[in-house]
Amino acid sequence: MAYQTKIVGLNNLVKLVVICLLLASLVAAMSLAPEEETMGQAQRILYVHVSVAWLGLLGFAVMGASSLAYMFRRNLAWDHWSHAANEVGWLCSSLTLLTGSFWAHSAWGTWWSWDPRLTTSFILWAIYSSCFVIRGSVHEPHQCARITSSLAILGLLDLPLVIMATRWFRGIHPVSPEMEPMMLATLVLNIVGFTVFFGVLFARRHSQLLSERLLQELELRVMAKKSVL
Amino acid sequence: MHIATQLYWMVCKDLVSEYRARQVWPAMLMLGALVTFLFSAQLDIVVEERFRMLGMQAWLAVYFAGVLALHQTFTMEHGEDCWDAMRLYPVGPAWIYVAKFAVNCLALSALQMVVLPLFVILTDAPLLNHPGHMIFVALLGNIGISSVGTLLGGLWSCTRQGASVLAFLTLPLVMPVILAASEATRLLAESEIGPEWWRWVGLLGVFAVVFVTAGILLFEFLIED
Repeated sequence: MAYQTKIVGLNNLVKLVVICLLLASLVAAMSLAPEEETMGQAQRILYVHVSVAWLGLLGFAVMGASSLAYMFRRNLAWDHWSHAANEVGWLCSSLTLLTGSFWAHSAWGTWWSWDPRLTTSFILWAIYSSCFVIRGSVHEPHQCARITSSLAILGLLDLPLVIMATRWFRGIHPVSPEMEPMMLATLVLNIVGFTVFFGVLFARRHSQLLSERLLQELELRVMAKKSVL
Repeated sequence: MHIATQLYWMVCKDLVSEYRARQVWPAMLMLGALVTFLFSAQLDIVVEERFRMLGMQAWLAVYFAGVLALHQTFTMEHGEDCWDAMRLYPVGPAWIYVAKFAVNCLALSALQMVVLPLFVILTDAPLLNHPGHMIFVALLGNIGISSVGTLLGGLWSCTRQGASVLAFLTLPLVMPVILAASEATRLLAESEIGPEWWRWVGLLGVFAVVFVTAGILLFEFLIED
């Protein structure tokens, strides 16, 4: 009982930290950071865009690493990490494309351009989506894990392309623009805030997947026992 | 038996069974030709614009028709326990992958022998003015598509889902290959064989090497059941 109370207390503390960090990020992005001269208020999207873009890449790296671990260990626990990273990463990747599109409309006058960074980010999103679709359509757990793992491992090749796209290929996407100290501080705060928030989401989803599997195993055992009786 | 001979017989087995049954190649070549005709009908525009769009259209035609062959690679092994018999053949799983990959490369090459000349005839694009360069691009593109397609085709064949899903599954992974091959083909159509062309060919080469290596390494892990 005392152990359960401790867990609930810890959960509440984590929730409080996440809410405080997100609120601080929001306030800093909306009012504390100075307004950019050329783009005006629209530039503030950047604080969210960069944060979710970083998390989209991190999610894919986690998905690829846990897929590799699954391949070698054949333990579904690793696939649960991959599954959770797939869902959270897909959300971040979608938000990256969405916020980037709003920013592009304001900066370049178009919602989309086949710039190398945008193209490689779209490919990353498409690989995330493929894994997502497979998880919904293949029901045998190990078969599903094998297919998504191979996709994730092959898709890892796209990661350096996304990161280095602005340096390796000519395009219109900004490389790493200079910022005022307050802008930089706001960006760092947003990155930290979103990372903690999505980290908590990731951990929650992982424990939920684990519980689902335990429940399924329990159901199978009960059914087996019933059939014996 | 030498490994090259064993590989040769595995490739022959697939080619002979396709020759006897004619299950996929005729449909694939026909689909490739039809898609080429349809795409070319949309290219009745000024020459510069036509050549700019040609690369992507040619490679999409090859990809979508080629998926039929990629899907069939392992599906044909499921009937009458052929797969179990195949596993009894005294070679490692990596060599089975290499043999299937070689057959897919041959299928895509055959498809390109139909699609590319058709594009040249229908759009007057000077694609074959530099035959050596075109063959080089086609070969690297085929290797990139076949390596991923063979690996995923093997996995997907166990799930009893259609070729359309395989197309959806493979496309995001081979998109960089298709983009690089399309750009290299476009530059060939515009007769601009310079540093930019070599940059796209270099990218194609990197993808081909990495995907084939990944395919060989992963295949053993993926087919054990």
